[in-house]
Amino acid sequence: MEESDNSDVLLECKHIAKSYNGPIVLDNVDFSIKRGEIHSLVGENGAGKSTLIKIITGAADRNSGEIWFNRTKLPMQYTRKYAENLGIAVIYQELSLIPGMTIAQNIYLAKEPLFPRTRIVDKKKLNATAQELIERYKFPLKSTDLIDTLSIAQRQLVEILKALSQNASLVIMDEPTSSLTQKEAEMLFGIIRMLRQEGISVLYISHRLEEVYALSDRVTVLRDGKVVSVLGKEEISPSEIIRLMIGHRLEDNEVRHSLPKVKGDVVLEVNHLTSIGKFTDISFQLHRGEILGVGGLVGSGRTELVRVLYGIDPFDSGTISFMGNVWEPSVRASINAGIGLIPEERRLQGILASQTVTRNIGITNLDHVAPRGVVQKKTEKKLAYEGIRLLNIKPSNPDALAGTLSGGNQQKLVLAKWLVRELQLILIDEPTVGIDIGAKEEIYEHIKSLSRQGVSVILVSSDLPELTRLSNRVLVLRKGRIIREFKECVITSEKILRAASGILEEQDEKDIINK
Amino acid sequence: MSGQVVRRLVLVSLMIVISALIALANPFFLTSDNLVKLLQEASQTGIMAIGFTLVMITAGIDMSIGAIVAVTAMVSINFISYTKLPVPLFVPITLFVGVVVGYFNGFLITKFKLPEFIVTLGTKSILSGIALVIAVKDSMGFVQNVYIQDESYLWFGSQTFGGIYRTTIAFVILGVITQLFLKNTRTGTNIYASGANPVAARLSGINTDRVVRGVYVFSGFCASVAAIFISSRMMTAMPELGLGQEMDVIASVVIGGTSFNGGSGDVWGSMLGAIFLALVKNGILKIGISPWVQPIVIGGIIVTTVIIDVTQKNLSERHATKSKLKKLAETSAGSAA
Repeated sequence: MEESDNSDVLLECKHIAKSYNGPIVLDNVDFSIKRGEIHSLVGENGAGKSTLIKIITGAADRNSGEIWFNRTKLPMQYTRKYAENLGIAVIYQELSLIPGMTIAQNIYLAKEPLFPRTRIVDKKKLNATAQELIERYKFPLKSTDLIDTLSIAQRQLVEILKALSQNASLVIMDEPTSSLTQKEAEMLFGIIRMLRQEGISVLYISHRLEEVYALSDRVTVLRDGKVVSVLGKEEISPSEIIRLMIGHRLEDNEVRHSLPKVKGDVVLEVNHLTSIGKFTDISFQLHRGEILGVGGLVGSGRTELVRVLYGIDPFDSGTISFMGNVWEPSVRASINAGIGLIPEERRLQGILASQTVTRNIGITNLDHVAPRGVVQKKTEKKLAYEGIRLLNIKPSNPDALAGTLSGGNQQKLVLAKWLVRELQLILIDEPTVGIDIGAKEEIYEHIKSLSRQGVSVILVSSDLPELTRLSNRVLVLRKGRIIREFKECVITSEKILRAASGILEEQDEKDIINK
Repeated sequence: MSGQVVRRLVLVSLMIVISALIALANPFFLTSDNLVKLLQEASQTGIMAIGFTLVMITAGIDMSIGAIVAVTAMVSINFISYTKLPVPLFVPITLFVGVVVGYFNGFLITKFKLPEFIVTLGTKSILSGIALVIAVKDSMGFVQNVYIQDESYLWFGSQTFGGIYRTTIAFVILGVITQLFLKNTRTGTNIYASGANPVAARLSGINTDRVVRGVYVFSGFCASVAAIFISSRMMTAMPELGLGQEMDVIASVVIGGTSFNGGSGDVWGSMLGAIFLALVKNGILKIGISPWVQPIVIGGIIVTTVIIDVTQKNLSERHATKSKLKKLAETSAGSAA
């Protein structure tokens, strides 16, 4: 058996490559984690972080490259179970505990201590062993408590204990603080540091750069599927990480955009809008024909805001006025008043995959297609042709099933549903995730032309160049609040990301004051 | 946990109230003869409900149990009519038929990843047909009503000390063993885990397919046990025996607090549920309402119970998230300030 030369390296990935039938997701990635270090993996959405994690944990296969763990070379394909047995544990974002069972039962699920020569669980021993484990790490838990009674933070602790009980030497945490309070997060950081002291390595993935900065021994930055840089402890600083994450994109005008001054009447006015736990005190005005970009990290309350404005979810306090009148959002009222929504999850919320293009367009326009309850096939088809022509949907066959279209064309279809209507305002949530460049450009053109026609647009996006290119104004949300507003100034992806990460620099402040 | 206790208390007090009302309307209700019969009724449904509970804990459903009763009863009748085999020999074969049918259900569900409802609805129809085909026929080809005279077979459905039926004793023994098994063995834990979160269960190394096959096998076994007791008690069996029984069984299990979503519930609850249902049915007769309303009442009870469970769960969940989110908002506001 070959041996890796470096003995303090726990995990080493060499020249990892991965593509999902076509686009390259990981390109020749070298990545290593040392024993007993906290290593962070950062990168923008789509940089390849989650794919790399999936490959390491066995949830996905790589196309080429080697993985070494504990000086052993791992096979080209292996299962999650295999990785777990080696000592690679993942604290899943969607927690994988069994409700209705106690902490002890969950920690030792399928590994319960039994009475000798029986299949009967020794409950006393089970609870005692679990309690011992809990006390060893001084976690504020009781082994006999039911999972259902625990907070998210406590459940994470149980997951960590489960990993520790299986002698994990590498614990992978994917956005572990996304649903924790500040206090709970601090406690988690203490535990992560304690794990390091025990000689356990932690791979930490977070969008929250201040956490990465505070915790990490080393940081690996991914960009467009490549490792851009590996920073040592003394090189880590939030602005350096941001600079590396965004990089110098090809053309300068791709990065820097001047936000034009907005004119026109106010279409939508939101005052002190609050939905408890989702967003707080949101106020803004939206003008006719304006594209208002909304940036921020995943979980900052962007999607929730859009859902409330469209009338899907209720809100707790604040007021909304639309076209000068007080507005009580409801989906039906929104559609009637010319408000459209392009939802975040295209496949789940946007299209009916098993239905034709025609029916997909018809379904949002039933008032027009079926004015007396019976669908007028001819009108429906005419509408479908119009939509196909307007958005250049391919194949241009109105009888094609929506599920068979490419991602880009599916998204165009979702747009088409609305474009055949008279719109006043359209709410767009992440319009170009997983769409190829060509279709992206087409969708951008449609959004711009909507704005030229006087339709107001609220554009939520994690794609920073998309925000800077299209928007007339950009609001940045952080933890449910508007933390920055960029208007009538020069905007860059870097500025948005800094604001979203909670890093305010003097230079930015001056920019605002000067204007 | 405490929610479950409250639920049980409500159920038991409801049973006491209903009993009192029936007793007021008809003094014959409280005679030991009637109560023993009521328990006998409950036991027949209850034996099936015990197996069904395990199926529901894995988030499955077994629509075929009534038809399994029919088929296995026909198997017994065939042995009695055409062979001289003694009871200790052919009863195990009858039970084995139930096990095989259960395994067939589990196999289709796990092997081809089919929806449980469709699979068992299909096997229900297949088994009902088989029951008719294998039923004992007269020379004209009509299904014959066979009277069972074999004393040792009639032993199962007969009464013992205190007039209590052996069915009831079997029901209690089977229930107690299953409950202890469910709560104290690794397999029992695996059954809950497979229903509550199959992905997590598989990641923890549980072979959820094996668990699922196991519960359908057990459900088939319980149905065939019930078939023996029912046919013995009736001293005959027609191929329609047990058909539609799954509704009573589902009602018992649901009343007992086992959720359609899987992962929760236990045998105690289903046993109580079966008694509750028998009480209601008995009451309908004793008060003098037409027995035709029974299905209406049973269906109504199922729907009402599910509505109560779901709204209660939604309410408590909404309350929990709301208060948690409030806390979250406060602390993050505090840290922001």
